[in-house]
Amino acid sequence: MERLNITRRSFLKTATAGVAALSLAPGLLDFKQWAHASANAAVTIVPTICNGCGNRCGLFAYVKNGRLWKVEGNPEANGNLGVVCPKGHGYLYDLYNPARLKGPLKRVNGRFEPISWEQAYKEIAQKINLTLLSNGPQSVFWVNYPQTNHAYALRLMHALGSPHYFTHGSTCFTARNAGWVYTVGELPSNDLSNSQYIMIIGRNPAGGIDLGQMKRIVGAKEKGVKLVVVDPRHSETAILADEWLPIKPGTDLALLLAMINVMVKEGMYDKKFVAEKTTGFDQLEEQIVNYPPEWAEKVCEIPANTIVRLTRELAKAKPRALIHRGYHGAFGAQYLNSFQTARALAIANSLLGNINREGGIYFPKTAMLGELQPTHPAPDLPQMGKLDGTGVPGRYPLGSYGDGIAHAIPELALRGELKAGFVYHNNPLRTNPNPKRVIAGYKKLELLVAIDTVLSETASIAHYVLPESFYLERTEVIDTKHSGKRAQVSIQQQVVKPLFDTRPGTQIIIELAKYLGVGKYFNFDIEEANRLRLKPLGVTLEKLKEKGFLFVGDKWKEGFDKLTTPSGKVEIHCQTLERLNFPAIPQWEEPLVSPDPKDPHSFRLLHGKQAIHTHAMTANQPILMSISHRYDMIRLWMNRARGAQLGLKDGDWVQVESTIGKGKIRIRLTEGIHPTCVWLPSGYGIFSKHLKTAYDIGLSYNDFLPTYFDPTVGHVMASEIVVKVSKA
Amino acid sequence: MARYGMVIDETRCVGCHACRVACHNQNSLDEKEAYNHLEEREYGTFPNYGREFLPVQCQHCDNPPCVKVCPTGASHKRADGIVLVHKDKCIGCKYCIAACPYNVRIIKKEGYIEKCRFCIEFIEKGETPACMTTCMTGVRMFGDLDDPNSEISKYIVKHKLKQFKAELNTKPRIYYKRG
Repeated sequence: MERLNITRRSFLKTATAGVAALSLAPGLLDFKQWAHASANAAVTIVPTICNGCGNRCGLFAYVKNGRLWKVEGNPEANGNLGVVCPKGHGYLYDLYNPARLKGPLKRVNGRFEPISWEQAYKEIAQKINLTLLSNGPQSVFWVNYPQTNHAYALRLMHALGSPHYFTHGSTCFTARNAGWVYTVGELPSNDLSNSQYIMIIGRNPAGGIDLGQMKRIVGAKEKGVKLVVVDPRHSETAILADEWLPIKPGTDLALLLAMINVMVKEGMYDKKFVAEKTTGFDQLEEQIVNYPPEWAEKVCEIPANTIVRLTRELAKAKPRALIHRGYHGAFGAQYLNSFQTARALAIANSLLGNINREGGIYFPKTAMLGELQPTHPAPDLPQMGKLDGTGVPGRYPLGSYGDGIAHAIPELALRGELKAGFVYHNNPLRTNPNPKRVIAGYKKLELLVAIDTVLSETASIAHYVLPESFYLERTEVIDTKHSGKRAQVSIQQQVVKPLFDTRPGTQIIIELAKYLGVGKYFNFDIEEANRLRLKPLGVTLEKLKEKGFLFVGDKWKEGFDKLTTPSGKVEIHCQTLERLNFPAIPQWEEPLVSPDPKDPHSFRLLHGKQAIHTHAMTANQPILMSISHRYDMIRLWMNRARGAQLGLKDGDWVQVESTIGKGKIRIRLTEGIHPTCVWLPSGYGIFSKHLKTAYDIGLSYNDFLPTYFDPTVGHVMASEIVVKVSKA
Repeated sequence: MARYGMVIDETRCVGCHACRVACHNQNSLDEKEAYNHLEEREYGTFPNYGREFLPVQCQHCDNPPCVKVCPTGASHKRADGIVLVHKDKCIGCKYCIAACPYNVRIIKKEGYIEKCRFCIEFIEKGETPACMTTCMTGVRMFGDLDDPNSEISKYIVKHKLKQFKAELNTKPRIYYKRG
């Protein structure tokens, strides 16, 4: 469908991009008064970056009478191409959410009391320094959701001598990343726009929204792409698909092995690419005979003839054909076999000869940002490694050292190896598995400092809470997340002045460093640091602030000489894995646990995102939560026939119970889900009493997930949950 | 003169609700208020199953029942076909709510009735409504139904698009592309 000619963007020609750091007139904090007073007020437009999830979409923020009005999408931003999702529109109003923190807090006798920033810094620094002296630098940690500000956090930990910087990665994507890294050397992207055949396994960009991907898929569909979605649940992406394959959960590896089997047996792979750019095809050829489609049909419940047909279609479209690189769903961090699933998926793509090809899998361009050093010398790297076992043979040798294994923090705290920690833009009490154990671990800490905008579950048990300014009130470190066929730099900048006594995360880190006695590594402010970052790119900070997003560097080119793997080639056979005694060619591996087929109450518990919620951070947003209620979205999906067996009617309350937890929720009976599983929307189950809109509504899959560490990567194995469901 | 209308390609809607929230902000609505809705429908049995979302908002009918029943002339149809409410003339009698077969009108706290305005502030500048601009899958198309050469007119003819509840003779200006 051709879009309309008339442009929505004509205003851009005249829009001024100055910072609208206006202060709000008294009385206008009230929404109704403001809406009435502002109907015809002048508008200021500021480009910035969304914080409604991790995609960091480009926005134009509209300010009227000093109050934020709305946002529109920045068409230059490669990752969202001018559109905005419901979270982007909804989360911005959390700027005015009454649950926001209004100043620093200290917990005294179990209750929070206000404290000044300076006194809080002083007390935190005293306690950290005491911990450093008595327990060593490795006893201090930092965990955050990884965004650009992590550069400062890592620097702070290194300045203190601690290796313990963590992201949420082990609960999200580390198995997928490792699968790609140990096959092609790095995590690639999907060239959806130019593809003629797209197969997506588990990923749901229409629910766990990726705006750029969705626009590109729709664009490719206009050009006739075939879209196949493999998912135990009829995902929102499946709505657009030509075919939906409801695979038995946890068996995506079997499907991929059978597809590789067909490609090899029928000689449909890219022979030139395989000969020149891969290693270990001979071993693959020997072993893959074990996995014919007839075998896979029994394991994954997709008919053998469907597997053969789809593989032929995919191979016929090569190299402009791809199997989506994946994210969290299916093999991000879900199963015991997730790492091998990601490996098999990378190998299947490689057999299509689509690596760094137009319409296939490609390596995005990166912006070569400048460094703070030598202007501001960096601290030495810590002398000891992480205690969580990432990268250690015999523990989690393929784990991502940079991300660490964040869900091991409670373990390390309970063992007394971690004593003090900072949690920034992260809420492990709600987003890590097995909350009872997470709470026990974090409570064991002698010092817990939370940097947040609200009293989340984690902030609620912290000793000190340092309130971060809302994203529209603060400027952050230069971002490059939207890089694709060309690299892009972008900036999140202040749109309105802080409403309360809050500070930007970067400023908090710099100030903490000064009180901690490592200020010599932080003799800069965000403005100077951002200029240093931009310096080699030939882009001025002024220009970036005016535009929000700028393309930099050369355009992407097809093909490659050498990959960053040890052999420089696609490692179908991986020597690193052989050395570590893991299968060097992907082999079938059962999930860790499976529901009992004889027990009508036994199901595998799956989870996934709805388009209106992100992690545990949007459920308290009244506009977004009103949609959850209006459309009855806080329900557990169950196959209709299985529900009938249990005497359930649509909307009934059920009791859900696993080995570690139980809870009640209402049921959605549907034909759109594999009978062996139930599916829980993530984003609910908030138990911080300070978050009144969200409190005690719905459940989180983490309430049912035991503490697991996959033996290769150390990921959470978030779908290795068997639950019993009965009428409540 | 232009006579505005919209195409909603239901086959593209994945039910994300971005249109609802973009509209919410554009019109500074209260948290539970909305001018557009999604109706989800499922069909088939596992594994031959599908579902669809039907976006519903004011259909800007050419023969609008809301205008006919309005005792004060608050609900009115402009020359360009857009149906609006004069909030100062509205007495909140709710006749229009009862008459509208699409269930898209809301009672504002201040007592008057409101609904989708086709974002006339954008239309008058040659831009597109907020629900359309924000959509990641391009569900909506907007344009002049009176111009036989406009893309929307050609699109409606090419795909033989129909209106929602056309049998009621409300003559909506929104045309739906169904799966």
